[in-house]
Amino acid sequence: MKWVTRSGPHVDRSACAWLLVRFIDPEAEFLFVEDPDEIPKDATPFDMRGAELSHHGGECSFEAFLRRYELDDPALWSIARIVHNADLEDERYDAPEAPGLDVLMRGLAMVRPDQDVLALSGPLYDGLYEYLSRASELGREPS
Amino acid sequence: MTGVGTWVLLAYRLPREPSTPRIALWRNLRRLGAAQLLDGLVALPADSRTREQLEWLADSVLESGGEAILWMGQPGTAAQERGIVEKMRGAVAAEYARLIEEATASSSQPAGSRKRTLARLRRELRQIRRRDYFSAPQAGPASAAVEALAASVANVAA
Repeated sequence: MKWVTRSGPHVDRSACAWLLVRFIDPEAEFLFVEDPDEIPKDATPFDMRGAELSHHGGECSFEAFLRRYELDDPALWSIARIVHNADLEDERYDAPEAPGLDVLMRGLAMVRPDQDVLALSGPLYDGLYEYLSRASELGREPS
Repeated sequence: MTGVGTWVLLAYRLPREPSTPRIALWRNLRRLGAAQLLDGLVALPADSRTREQLEWLADSVLESGGEAILWMGQPGTAAQERGIVEKMRGAVAAEYARLIEEATASSSQPAGSRKRTLARLRRELRQIRRRDYFSAPQAGPASAAVEALAASVANVAA
């Protein structure tokens, strides 16, 4: 399927793209646009104004994906809390990883084109997911 | 400052009731440090982050049954812009001043509560810096006051 989002992906959009490929649509193809008017008809928008898979009720797009696809993996919800705090900056959750991840993703988007940002951040989210999965199983931080 | 910059403006109207969306919007605008130009009109210096944040707020107003339009614009004169900038800088300066006061006052607290205060003040400093769009001169002293408190906590631990 084709998925479309805004150009210059930071933490929410890159995390959503990772989630899509790994848990929802392994064949996902990503397009980037500057304006909602440029969305192709055959593509599903996310993290864009007016889209279903976007910010709603004070939640970020990553949270919208988890709800829409009924993903209840605790490690994914841990990532959701980090992405939420990084993206909305409202300190709603205790997620000390958020400011660091936010800076890394903003910086990456400064030096690499959109597609590269997704390719490079994917393994980072794989690692974050693995770490948080182990933490969830152990009930404490893994070594 | 010479010339005027581009600002992102949010014009909005929310129903008086329920009050929850109004309070949520007010909190978000406060967190962003937006300048309230008129009732229902706020502004921030435009960059990709401020624009995105106001776009999400515009959507949340629409979802709550209100009206919202986002504009990009420039103040008509440099003097008008200066007026807005000075007001925003003043608001942030007051926040820094309160933080310095708290950091200084807490130096007489017991070590444990000093450490907790330090964690809170660091978080608050980070939040204030994020909405300090025009580099208020009190940023340096505020940071120094918090770091002085950090040093006093470290000395106790050592």
